Amino acid sequence: MAALLALLRPLQAVNDVVLRFGKAFATLAVALMVLAILLQVFMRYVLNNALPWPEEAARFLMLWMTGLIAPLAYRRGGFVAIDMLESALPRPLASLLSLALLAVSLLVLVVATQLGYKHVFSGCLFKSSTLWLPFTFKFSLPIPLTGLDLTLCTRQTGISFEWGWAKMPLALSFLSLWVGVWLLLLVNIELILRSIVTMAGGGDRLRPQMDADLPVGAD
Amino acid sequence: MLVWFLPLFLLFLMIGLPVFFGLLAAPGILLWLNGQERELSLLYRNVYNGMDSFPLMAIPFFMLAGELMNRGGITERLVEFSQAMMGHLRGGLAHVNVLSSMLFAGLSGSAVADTSALGSMLIPAMEKEGYTRRFAAAITAASSVIGPIIPPSGIMIIYAYVMGESVAALFLAGIVPGILVGVGLMLMIKLMANRYDFPISRQRATWSEKGEASLKAFFPLLTPVIILGGILGGVFTPTEAAAVAVAYSILIGMFVLKTLRLRDMPEVLMRSGMTSAVVLLLVGAAMAFKTVVSLSHAPEQLAEFILSLSQNPLVLLFLINLLLFIVGMFLDAGPAIIILGPILGPIFTSLGIDPIHFAIIMSVNLTVGLATPPMGLVLFVASSVSGEKVETIAKAILPFLLVEIIVIFLITFIPEISMTIPRLTGFAD
Repeated sequence: MAALLALLRPLQAVNDVVLRFGKAFATLAVALMVLAILLQVFMRYVLNNALPWPEEAARFLMLWMTGLIAPLAYRRGGFVAIDMLESALPRPLASLLSLALLAVSLLVLVVATQLGYKHVFSGCLFKSSTLWLPFTFKFSLPIPLTGLDLTLCTRQTGISFEWGWAKMPLALSFLSLWVGVWLLLLVNIELILRSIVTMAGGGDRLRPQMDADLPVGAD
Repeated sequence: MLVWFLPLFLLFLMIGLPVFFGLLAAPGILLWLNGQERELSLLYRNVYNGMDSFPLMAIPFFMLAGELMNRGGITERLVEFSQAMMGHLRGGLAHVNVLSSMLFAGLSGSAVADTSALGSMLIPAMEKEGYTRRFAAAITAASSVIGPIIPPSGIMIIYAYVMGESVAALFLAGIVPGILVGVGLMLMIKLMANRYDFPISRQRATWSEKGEASLKAFFPLLTPVIILGGILGGVFTPTEAAAVAVAYSILIGMFVLKTLRLRDMPEVLMRSGMTSAVVLLLVGAAMAFKTVVSLSHAPEQLAEFILSLSQNPLVLLFLINLLLFIVGMFLDAGPAIIILGPILGPIFTSLGIDPIHFAIIMSVNLTVGLATPPMGLVLFVASSVSGEKVETIAKAILPFLLVEIIVIFLITFIPEISMTIPRLTGFAD
């Protein structure tokens, strides 16, 4: 039990910080999305000068908004599910079932982190058609003990940074989903640990789960 | 082999796996068992491609606009307006509840928002006048399903995107069915009012009172005109219209009604971001699921099965309504549309049903499902707003559900109800 809690607490703390950042970013992103689209309408109809970039910029923001705030919704129990069976089962069976469901989700997320890596890398080949960055940034750093590299758009070990306007590689957009998957994975592990602790009878030593105080979906 | 992904998905769903994970796990597992690991990256890529869409951006924007209007006291103006128009009838507040829902539907695309906004105002008011709480909660829940039927509509944006239809056409096709649901509910209230001697809310408003209430509701009521007018006139896309609706609701909330405060903004932005993020992930997963649906030949087999039941489109439509109604009892409208649209849509289109007509059948049926037990999102919200138990509301709502079921059949068997406006405006042929 103590070991489980020792694992859970730091993870919980990390998730708190990261998801608080995600929440702040998503708030800002929604505001910027609205502004970008209003600007687009204004320029086209009032100044008769259609801008090329607002639409893509807004999509970019929407993707990152999703990647960074959806994990928070997951943590608060905001992912749509039919929980009738779970509430109909006796307590021990219900917790077993919920653990099994979390394990299936874990499987999906673990596979997705692998697939996402390839997906992001493939995005280095394609450039955005309307978004520019004032620099080019690539890196490839070995992660100790794993034999893996943490890379962005290069296989050459090291970090390269150059000033100068260049079209944004789509990898930066692709990254949003991958980051989202990683954050969902962190939350999923937190939920699994919580569920094991509860099953082992330590439910009273957990902090209360945050409220699922959000209307679900577009309904 | 691959065709088993559908039963597997249903199994996952029934035992309570979140829909998002189920949509990926079921096809993923079968692709893997089938030795088609390569297709897994296709699955992942299509989640991303499914979310990376400009039309989908209308979802967070319309959610935001709805929430802003709610905070900005616009709901109250609509209720006052409805009071002035219908408060003098027997069962006045019940009628006001329905009319307010219809007006609110023109601003927001969500039944949940409708229930919580109108319910928190009207349920206590109705109780004070002598209605039972369960009746007040039931009529609030029943009328709120008009929200996603009259445009704008979150569900129809999703349907249009997943199925490649025009959002504008679906919006237009929803207008008459939405009004029909409202009128049907009012007729039922009238029937009940005489029988149970419902209270009259107020004296008939004078013309000057009506004028004053209309004036106060003028700016809010202009919103649907701007949204629909803008889309129809080709001035802006639905997404742009939604952004304009956001700006408009901020303007009236802050400067005309002066009820919206700047410090409310972060919370409102965050909430609409969070709810739409969940929807976006679902849509992405559904688009990935859809690729496997077509890889698996499941639609052909399912179509064969459905056609073996009957060749008569009318019989099949009846059966499909039954199926949708049952699905709606267990699943919210958005996820249900995402899952069933790609499977059922093509079958019925090939039978000669207009895709827009079918979209409306599905949307209305599944939206009504939001108010049916055991899993009715709107029932849950009505219960938490009113403090009445879900089971009690579920019983009290039965007469209204009956009305809505009749409307579903009317819509199903008289295509003109949905198709006339889109045809007249050139958005459907």
